[in-house]
Order: sequence, then C-alpha cells, then structure tokens
Amino acid sequence: MTSYFKILIFPALLLLACNKFLDVKPKTSTSDDQTITDASSANTAVRGIYNALESNDYYGYTFQTLGFFSGDNIQYVGSQTVNQQLTNHAVLSDLAALNTSWLAIYNTINRANNVLAKLPAIPSGAGFADSVKNQLLGEAYFLRALAYFDLARTWGGVQLILKPTSSASDKPSVKRSSLADTYAQVLNDLKAAEPLLPLTTNRIRATRKTVWALLARYYLYQKDWVNAETYATKLITDNNYTLLKPYNSFFANNAANTKESVFELYYNTTVTNNQASQWQPTSNGGVGWIKPTDAAVSLLNDPTIGGGRNTLVQKVVSSGVTNWYGNLYYRTVGTDPAYLIRIAELYLIRAEARAQKEDFIGSNDDLNAIRSRAGIDSANIQDKNALLLTIENENRVEFALENHRWYDLVRTNRAGTVLGITDERKFLLPIPYAQVAVDLNLAQNPGYSNN
Amino acid sequence: MNALRFDCILTMKGWIMSLLLTSVSMTVFAQAPPGAVVNSVLEGDIIDSLSRRPLESITVNIKGTTNQTQTDKQGHFKIRTGQRFPYTLIVSSIGYRTQEVEATGAPLNIQLRSSETQLSDVVVVGYGTQTKRNLVGSIAVVNAAEVNKIPVASFDAQLQGKAAGVQIVTNSGIPGEAIFVRVRGTTSINSSSDPLYIVDGVFLNNTSLQTLSLGGRTTSPLADINPSDIDHIEVLKDASATAIYGSRGANGVVIITTKKGNYNSRSKVTVDALAGWVQADKSTIQKLASGPQSATLANEWWINSGIDNPALNRTFANRPFRPVSEGGQGLPEEQKTYDRISDILHHGTVQNYNASIQGGSNNSRYYLGLGYTDQEALIRVPTFSRENVKFNFDQKLSNRISFGLTNNFSRSYRNQAFAGDGPQVNLWNSATSAATYTSKYATDGTSVGADNTYILMQHYDVNTVSLRYIGGIYAEAEIWKGLKFRSSFNLDYDHYSEYAYWDRYTSIGLAANGQANSTLTQNSTWINEQTLSYVKELGSSNLSVVIGNSEQSNVLSATSAVGKGFANDNFRLISSASQTTASQNWTKYSLASFFGRVAYNYAAKYYAEASFRADGSSKFGANNRWGYFPAFGLGWRLKEEAFLKDVDWLSELKLRGSYGITGNQAGIDNFAARGLWTGGSGYADVFGTPLSGIAPQQLGNPDLKWEKTAQTDIGLNLDLFKNRISLTVDVYRKYTSGLLLQRPIPGATGFSTYWANVGELSNEGYEVNITSTNIAGKDFSWRTSLNIAGNRNKIEKLPSQITQYTRDWVILKQGYSMNSFWLYHQLYVDPKTGASVFEGQDANGAVTTDDRRIYGNAYPKIYGGITNTFTYKDFDLGILFTFQSGNKSVNLNRYFRERNPSSGGVNAKVLQRWQKPGDITDVPRLTSIGNNYTIDQNSRYLEDASFLRLKELTIGYNLPKSILSRINLTNARIYFIGTNLKLWSKYTGDPESNVTSNPNAQGLGSFGTPPQPVGYQFGINVTI
Repeated sequence: MTSYFKILIFPALLLLACNKFLDVKPKTSTSDDQTITDASSANTAVRGIYNALESNDYYGYTFQTLGFFSGDNIQYVGSQTVNQQLTNHAVLSDLAALNTSWLAIYNTINRANNVLAKLPAIPSGAGFADSVKNQLLGEAYFLRALAYFDLARTWGGVQLILKPTSSASDKPSVKRSSLADTYAQVLNDLKAAEPLLPLTTNRIRATRKTVWALLARYYLYQKDWVNAETYATKLITDNNYTLLKPYNSFFANNAANTKESVFELYYNTTVTNNQASQWQPTSNGGVGWIKPTDAAVSLLNDPTIGGGRNTLVQKVVSSGVTNWYGNLYYRTVGTDPAYLIRIAELYLIRAEARAQKEDFIGSNDDLNAIRSRAGIDSANIQDKNALLLTIENENRVEFALENHRWYDLVRTNRAGTVLGITDERKFLLPIPYAQVAVDLNLAQNPGYSNN
Repeated sequence: MNALRFDCILTMKGWIMSLLLTSVSMTVFAQAPPGAVVNSVLEGDIIDSLSRRPLESITVNIKGTTNQTQTDKQGHFKIRTGQRFPYTLIVSSIGYRTQEVEATGAPLNIQLRSSETQLSDVVVVGYGTQTKRNLVGSIAVVNAAEVNKIPVASFDAQLQGKAAGVQIVTNSGIPGEAIFVRVRGTTSINSSSDPLYIVDGVFLNNTSLQTLSLGGRTTSPLADINPSDIDHIEVLKDASATAIYGSRGANGVVIITTKKGNYNSRSKVTVDALAGWVQADKSTIQKLASGPQSATLANEWWINSGIDNPALNRTFANRPFRPVSEGGQGLPEEQKTYDRISDILHHGTVQNYNASIQGGSNNSRYYLGLGYTDQEALIRVPTFSRENVKFNFDQKLSNRISFGLTNNFSRSYRNQAFAGDGPQVNLWNSATSAATYTSKYATDGTSVGADNTYILMQHYDVNTVSLRYIGGIYAEAEIWKGLKFRSSFNLDYDHYSEYAYWDRYTSIGLAANGQANSTLTQNSTWINEQTLSYVKELGSSNLSVVIGNSEQSNVLSATSAVGKGFANDNFRLISSASQTTASQNWTKYSLASFFGRVAYNYAAKYYAEASFRADGSSKFGANNRWGYFPAFGLGWRLKEEAFLKDVDWLSELKLRGSYGITGNQAGIDNFAARGLWTGGSGYADVFGTPLSGIAPQQLGNPDLKWEKTAQTDIGLNLDLFKNRISLTVDVYRKYTSGLLLQRPIPGATGFSTYWANVGELSNEGYEVNITSTNIAGKDFSWRTSLNIAGNRNKIEKLPSQITQYTRDWVILKQGYSMNSFWLYHQLYVDPKTGASVFEGQDANGAVTTDDRRIYGNAYPKIYGGITNTFTYKDFDLGILFTFQSGNKSVNLNRYFRERNPSSGGVNAKVLQRWQKPGDITDVPRLTSIGNNYTIDQNSRYLEDASFLRLKELTIGYNLPKSILSRINLTNARIYFIGTNLKLWSKYTGDPESNVTSNPNAQGLGSFGTPPQPVGYQFGINVTI
C-alpha cells in the first residue's frame, strides 16, 4: 500500500517544491532593471528616442495633424470628421488626437530622461569613447528640447518632467510650469546639447548644427531677432546645406537626405511614416483623407506665387471630376521622410529676423533666395509690415504641406486676423481631457472646459 | 521512488511513469469481484413515456455492478444476475433521462422520459457528478440535440435562450466569428469576462489566434468543435459550483460532455445530413437613399455649408451635382442608382453531414464521430468549413481500474473578409457605404476606386486553416471501497495558419505593389490533474470528498512575415516579394493548483458543501502569486420533511444558498506584473543604417494580484404534479474587487497605463427557469420551457473614468454600468433654425466636454428564451424564441452614413432632414458648419436594441416503426429547421451586431459587420 500512496502524493510534493514552475520569464521583452548598461545598450536606447519621435503618434502622423488642420492649407475630409474641430477652432478637449500626441511626446521625453539619467553612470573606456558618450547625451538633450518645444508651442507651459519614470508611484507631483519656464527648459537642454554634439553634418541624427537650427527657430519664437539671425546664419553659410533646384528635388523621385535637409526623420518599411496613405487618393493606394485646401491649391498653382512649388499638388480626374491631392508624401510603403527642418526655413527665419531689425536689404535677399529657387519674381519691399506679410505668405506656400502654418500664425499673433479666430485663448489647444481627468496637478487651458 | 527526481516541471514523460507505477500497483491490489450467488433472469420492457413506443438500445445496468444489457428492437431486455430482489437498475440512453428503477420482481415495465428535468438526472459538476436532487449549486443543463442544428460554426452561439443567466450575443453574420457570452454579467474590465470552457476535462483555449487585422472582428476558437459530437452542456453559475475552478471560475464554467458509447451495447450507426441556405433578413439591411436623392442631399449640404461659412466658397453655382456642361457631375435627377448591397448579398449554401458509430462490449466502449460542415455567409466571399474526427474510448482493465481517451481532431478552413471597422478592403462596408450614384465600374470597365465592392468580391484572397487537437488520456482506479483515484493528462493544441494576398486591384496591394501576409501561430495548453474522491454512506447521511491537484502551462508563439513588391499577381508567396519583414512572438504562463470539496447530506434532506482551491499563477509577482478561493453551500429539501412528505402535488421543494470567492486572471498579459523594456524600436545609426533600439514598454507592478469575485446565491427548486411543472429560481449578487485594470496614469510619466488592482464592480440579478408538460397524451404532447434572467451591472469604484474605442463612445465610470454610452445629448432639432440643440449648450449653441452625459448601456435588463415543443403521433414541432430587453446600441452604420451626404452612401433617414422653418424632425439641417453633423457622439444615433427573435423552428417527422422494420432501420427522421425567421426590434439593423469583438466596446452596432442570416435547412437522420 505505502508504495502507491507515495505515488499519489508525488505530484503534490512536486508542486510544493516548485516555485520555478511558476516563474516564467518573457522572451520578447527584457526586465526594466537591466536596460542602459554599456555602449551598445546606450546606443540602442538613443535610437529608441528617435523611434518615439518618429512614431505614428508624433512626427509620423498624429501630432503633425494638429497643426495641419488648424491652419488654412490642409483639410481633413475623411471619416474622423471630429478632426474638423481643429479647422473650425472649436476643439473639444476629448479630441482623440490631442491625447495621442500628448502621450507620444511625453513618451519621447521619458525615453530621453532614461538616457540622461543612466548614461553618465556608464564608465567610458575602450569600448565607449567619451566622444560617443557625449554625442549620445547631446542627442538626448536635443530630443528632449524638441519635445518640450512642441508641447510649449501647442499647449503652452507644461509639467516639466526631467527624471525617468521607473514605477507607477513616480507620478508627477508638479503643477504646470509657466510658458516662459517651459521655454527656458528648452533653451537649457539645447545649450547642454550644443557642446556635447559633434560639429558634423548629419541630416537624420542631431549634431551641433541641428541644435543651431532649432535655436534659430527657438529665438524666432522668442522674438530674439539677433540670436535668430545669428544661428540661422551659421547654417546658411555652411555649404553642406543649399536650396536645391527645382523645388521638388528634396522630395521627388524617392529623394531623401538631400542637401536641402537640416533635420529629417528616416523611415523604412519596418518603421513607417504613415502620411502617404492618408494623402494619396484611392487610385494610388491611399485613402485620400487629407487634402490641401482649395485656397492652398490655387496659391500653389498660381505661377506667380507657387512657381515650382506647384509640384506639391497633383490632380486626379475621376468620373469627370478633378480632385487635387497633396503629393509631398507619396511613398505608400511608408518610407517618406518626415521633414522637420529644411534650410529654406533658416532663410525665412533670417528674413523675418532681419525685417524685424529693419535690415530690409538682408531680408529681401533671404526672401528672394527662396523665391528665385521657386522660380518666381524677386521682391524688393522696403516697408516693414508689408515685408513681414510677404514673408508670412512665402512661408505659407514654401511649407504648404509641412507643419508650419498654424504655429507661424500663432507666434506672430496673426491667427485671429487670418483664420478669423475671435477668442485668442483658442491659439492654444486644450489639454487632453483624459490627462486632466487623471492628473489633479494638470490645469486646463483657459477658454476650455474645466474638467 | 528515488529513481524519480524531484524535478519541478511535471513532464508528460514523468506523468506516464508515475501513472504506470500506479496502475501496476493497483493491479496487484485489485481484488476479484464478489462471486455470483444466485443465477436469475430479469426481463422487462422499456417505452417512451410520451409516445408509448418501445425503445431500442437502452442500457440497463444493475447498480453497483458492471452487469448490463440493452433492449432489443421491441424495447425488450433480459438480464442475468446473481443479485437478489430488491435491487436497483440504472436505465440510461442518449436523448433520455437516466432513471433508477427498483426491481422487486419481473417483468418490469419502465417508461423513459426525454423530458426536461428529473431529480435523478446526473449533472456534471466540477471534478465529479451529482444527481439533480443533491445539487446545491446553480447549474443550467442544455441538451445539445435541441440546438445543435442552428447553422453557426460554434456551439456557444447555439445556446442563446437555452440557459437561464447565460447571455449570448451573436455579433456578426459571418460563420465562425467570435460571439459575446456572459454568465451572470461582466465581472471584469481588462481581464477576460468570458466563461471557462471545459470539454471532457480539457480546458479550452477561447482566445482567438487571429493576427490578421480584419476590422476588429476575430475568429472563434470554439468553432473547431463539432456541435454534433456534444451530448450535453452544463453551465456552472454560482460560487459553490464554480469555486472549485478557483481562479477561472468567476465568469462561470461551461462544461461540455461529448458523446460516449455504452458498455454492452451493439454497434449503432447514425447518419445525419442537413443542407439548405442562408439569406439576409431584409429588415436588418440598411436603406440607402437613391442616386438622385443622394445627389440632392449632397448639393444641399454643399450650399448650406457655403452659406454658413462664405470662406469655403461653396455656392449654388459650383455645387457638385450641376450640369456636366458646367463642369459638374450632372444634375441630381440625372443620376442613376446602383444597388451594391443586393449584389453582395446572396443565398449562401450551408451543409452539415455527420456520421457516428458507437457501441461497447463488457469492458470497453467507444464513440467514433465524423463530421463535415460547410457554411457560406449571407454575403459573398466569407465561408467556413470544418472536418472533424472524434474518438472516445474507455476500457476497463478490471472491476477497479479503467482508462480511456478522448480525442478531437479538426481542421477548420475559413475564407475571410474584412468585416468590421476601417476603410480599406472592407468588404461589407464597401457595399454599404458607397454612394448609390457611383457606378459599379468605370467607363473602361475597370474598378471605380481601389476597394470597389465588385473588385473585392473577385479579388479577396484571405484564408485561414486551424488544425486543432483537443483530447487527453485518463486512468481511474478504485483503491478502496468508495475511494477513487483519477489522473489525467490533457492537451489543447492549435496550429493556426493565416495567409492573405492583396493584389493590385485592392488598396493594400496597390500601395505595396502586391502584398502578402503569412502568420503561423501555435497555441498549446497541457494540463495534468490528479483527483482522489471518496464516497461513504454513514447511516442516513452521505459523505463525499474530492481532493486534487492540477498543473497547467500554456505557450503561445507566432511567426509572421509580410512581403511587399511582387513582380505581378501571379506570384503570390512571400518568397517572390522584393521586400520582406518578419517578426516573432512568444509568451507563456503556468498555473498550479490544489483543490478539494466536501459534500455532506443527511437523509437527502439537509445538505452542506464546502470547496476550496488554491491557485498559483506565473502572471503575478512572487508576493501575490497564490490566490485562495473558498466556497460554501447549504441545501434543504423541504419536501423530505414530515409535513410535506405526503403532499402529493408537490414533487420537490428545495432551498439552496451558497457563498464563495472565485478569481480571475485570464486575458491579462502573461507578463503584466513586470516592468519591461522592448527591443526592436529602432532608428538609423549615424551612418544611416537602420538598427534596433530599446525603449520602456510597460511599468511593473510587483503587487499585482488576483481579481476576486465574491458571489452569494439563493435558489429555490419547486416541482409540482409529478414534475409536470418544475420551477427553478435563483437570485445572486456578485461583487468583484481588485479589478485587474490597465489603470490610466498621467501621460507626463511617459506611460498611459499600468496594470493594477483597482476598482470594484458588482452584478446583481435573478434567473427563473420554468419547464412544464402542458399536455402529455398518447398522440399529442406539448411542453414548454421558459427562462428569464435579469442582471444589473455597476462599477462600484473606479478612480478615474476610462473611455473605450475610437471617438470615446463607450465609457467606464464609477456609479454606472459597464459599456455605458458617453454622448452629447441632442434634445431636439430647433424647428426655427434646423440646428441640433444639445443638453447643456450655451447661448451660442456651443457645447463642451462637460456637456457629455451617460445614456444607457449595452446590457439588457431582461433576457432569455422560450421553447415550445409539440409532438403529434410521428410529427414533432419545436419553436424557440429568444429575447433581450432594455439594452441600447449606438448604430454606427447610421452614424457613418448620416453625417456627411457629400461623401459616400447616405441612409434614407437623412431625407427627413430639416429643410424649412416649422419642420419637426430629429435630423438637423444639412451643413458641415456648427454642431449639427460634426459631433461624433451625438445621441441621435443611440437606439433601443431590445429584440424578440424567432430563433429556431423545427418540424420533424419520424418514420413509423412499421416502415422502419421493413427497411431495417432503427430510426429515421426527416426534418426542417428555420433559423432567425423573424425579428421584432425597434433597432434599425441587427440589434446583436457589433463592429468589434472587443468586449468593452459592445453596443457599437451595424457598421461593417453583416447581420445574422435567416436560415432554411432540410435534414434527414437515420440510425441503423
């Protein structure tokens, strides 16, 4: 008898001795306590930040659409009609794209924070040169600066989170910083990045030159015309960057990484840019939900205004009806770059800064560099306001299908006049409802429902 | 013993070794059966209690022995025995209720009932069986034969209206797709609320292995099981019944028992052939405005928008439907109407063939079933077919030791189509959302738009093969009198292969120059269980004990590849693609358990039961790995009390009560408790070469633990007039705490959610089941079975609200039911201006998020079914109605097709729009400006989705015995089955349809998903 009673309790005994059976470890992911520990993991972690930056929710699509539809160049005609709230400037805080973008930007920040917190502890040495280490740190600072810059220009001052989140109890206990403090953080990070990064040319990864380019834009937003001009000049005088002619050289025929580009994001068939399928008509394998507005199409097609920039739009005739679609994003396999900073922007930044400084000759020169590249007549405007307006309109067509128009009109306080927005509080978008609902420290922007 | 290492993981090999040792030792200890004392013969006849016809192949067994026989064609049996009178016979057969008959002398005349309830019926409970009389828990029993001809792929969809407290919602008319099943309400938010399914002891995987995105609709793994192989289904509902399944009991347990042969019975061959067709119920298909009507609406929309915002430059002069000579698409009245919906609908053929052979000798019994089913959907393209082989076998090695195996092999093949949400390659949607004035083909005869209905119908090439094995082996031994040991090893293995090719006529193929997707997914669950059970009679009282342990492990792995860029559409395999990407996934969990139950009754009058289970799950951190789940039940059969014993009209009166705690961990990620970083999130290095990256993926929570549901149940069983009427009533309250939730956290952390135990929710409800034999004459009988249940779900605690699905239509909020709708409430359309007026809007008509309100939810207040069965001589008639009441659904089809007449098809409903002052309507003035049509969450699209459905109507004719004996058949029946023949509902569409299989987004109906079909089938069933 005893022998088989032993057998009966055998499986039970097995279990009692058996916590190993219940200790199943994942294979697809790794534990978060062993992440950035050496040169290789530091490199991969920095690529992880870029990956968040270029994700579908950030520069890959959603964040871009907030500015697209808020401006007057790009319209949404697809099934998510709620996006028309942006065009109508009657945005409700529960608009899904707000929360999606918000999460993606802070996700990018958290990835950068992880690198900034963990990388300095890795000893440099044979496998990990100081120069590489500095470059990675510099890139993390730059990417965090860009993320906070995007938050600030879209929503105003935000909560500044500078430490990585490692557990759910690390919830932010800070309130929103002022807009000035948020921009100050952007400047801090850019200034920290500047000396760490190499003075090389790289259009898909941040270098010291990329920092300068963003600084030029930063100072333009701050109305610091001297610095804006200074930093723009650093790029314009660098012969690694030129205005390519014809205009479509920077995007047509599967171009990428051209000399026009200061900073663009690299996509391949694994990590895809999802604009093309939204822009291209169904006959090209897209859904055609995002289109240039009729006004933008007629500006671009006007040979005296658009010039060579008419290549941004194409037409398709279906059942006798002509439909214009945007053709900046056309690689439906998802490999279109996301254009963040082009050298043309630096010219127009400097043109605007010089106009503000009443250096009309210099300003007209910069403006005409853009106009002549597009193949339209040069301007020679000596009136400050007229010149600024011309630069504004030049920006509109030069970056017709890039995410500039809304932010340009807001920073120059012209959104009210141009877009007919009567309530200036609508120049900032509402904080996502889901965020306000879950974070008591996060106050809603004025002019929006206070949940 | 020393030879066996104390290895942690119990392998199949280890199990077989220990089992062999056990068997060997038991064979040694097995004793010879008691010797025969007297040799006598008992004879008798068995007839059907209603039809009075003699019954063949009925098994007659002398209780407590293996001695048994079967009736012959005249219903006569003869059994030789050594027993002295009185002794008890157990009379049983498939389709009839098992009876115990006391034999006090010969000959015996026994009447068998195929009716609904019998106190001596054996009911399957967790790790054992009980008679209905002794049942303390709340368990519903469904006889599979009553519903298994309904033309759907999986048995769960056939249960609608058949079991009290079981809510079944068939979301889609495509055969083989997942449906929505709830036993006593939804108990969880992010963990699974699906019941646990067990087939012959095998814990089934019920999570779809589908990886292809088909608009949110997924396939049902339960469709791999042939309903015809099922004998009966028990649904365990209250805690005393389910707690022995501990961690997986909270959502109810569905135990499926497949057919088995009988010992000592001659081989019986049954053939069943059923064929017919399915077609659309026109009342559930949307009505689109005609071409001219749609064009008129589009012009009106255009012009009104221009009036409201002159900057749009939309005027009468440049309206879209102006004369062709002016550059337009022609005047509205010149438009033609193209009816795509009628073209995509068709009569889908359905066929179902089953053959089985069963029988047994003294020591062995078997059932071999072969099945083939082939079902076309009511729309073109999707089909489902399945081949099954079922083999059950049991062998007695001696009086005390037996073993057996159960096997189900199946191959399910699906032609799939995108039916759900999303614009691309959406088959049903392409027909329902295209403008009726858009011609079917372009003038050159090719496609209009890439995802044209006609192109898709011809070019769809998505198919899936699921190869599945479900089965296991067991051995059982009686170690001592009343003490039984059982050990089993079961496996559920699914090899799921998906393939899709998108040619250049589809939008996906056009974008990628031809695209192929291929995924191989393998899911295997093994489970090993040991139980030791003991039954003892102690005078008037009766004790039964079962203890056991269980270990199980599940591995899910998938390898997928995508190829883009094909030379032409003749090359369709990924090896021919110019760009390929691949990925691989792997996940696993393990579960270890100990359980036990003690049941005691005194004089079949007072009952007490206690059960316990301890479960350890690899999903949780070491601190909270183990969960403990106790339950208690009490019963009191008042009928046995002296004051009721002699009341003739009262056959049974029993009060039951139970309380217990069950758990849940299903459906959450296997590694939910761990803080994780993901690899592969890459970017280019400084030289422009794409390389991998790493990034935070999820926050860990070492305190993550079991979700627990405490359930109280009080029940009553009442049988009157010799069981002519029998009533079961239960009321229950389930309270779930420590909800496993993807808890939202501030996005500033870089994360949006993490897994935590937060929130509590409750379900309260009642169930009533009445069966009655209204007429039981010699030629005519009429029986009725009615079940009604009501459940109220409420989120008791939730720190912050959570919204579901795109556009946040569905919300989870404290104080409200799950699946509540969060909408802007359109009060009316202002007769003066035609503007929508929303509750809470300000003087300018502006609304804010504050103005959104919660209106109704997707759960019915009352649901159930009523079955009436009539027999007249050789004819039989069955009618099943099912119903739900009080549930709401946002009609997404109306939302999409009534919000912008300038794009795509327009529902005819929009013709009722406001046009001039004084118009009273709920369809506002057409304009793209303002709130009339830009608010997605407009309550205008919320509809009452209550319904009454004539689910099944069966008419059968049994060939009379006189003919049968001439052609040498035991039984032959020809029958007709109609399904979903009639629907009564205020909902415009199929009230059960849902755009997604996501359970938290139930109540979003009619978009992209075809409705359930009407079915007409004719069949013949022959037993040789």
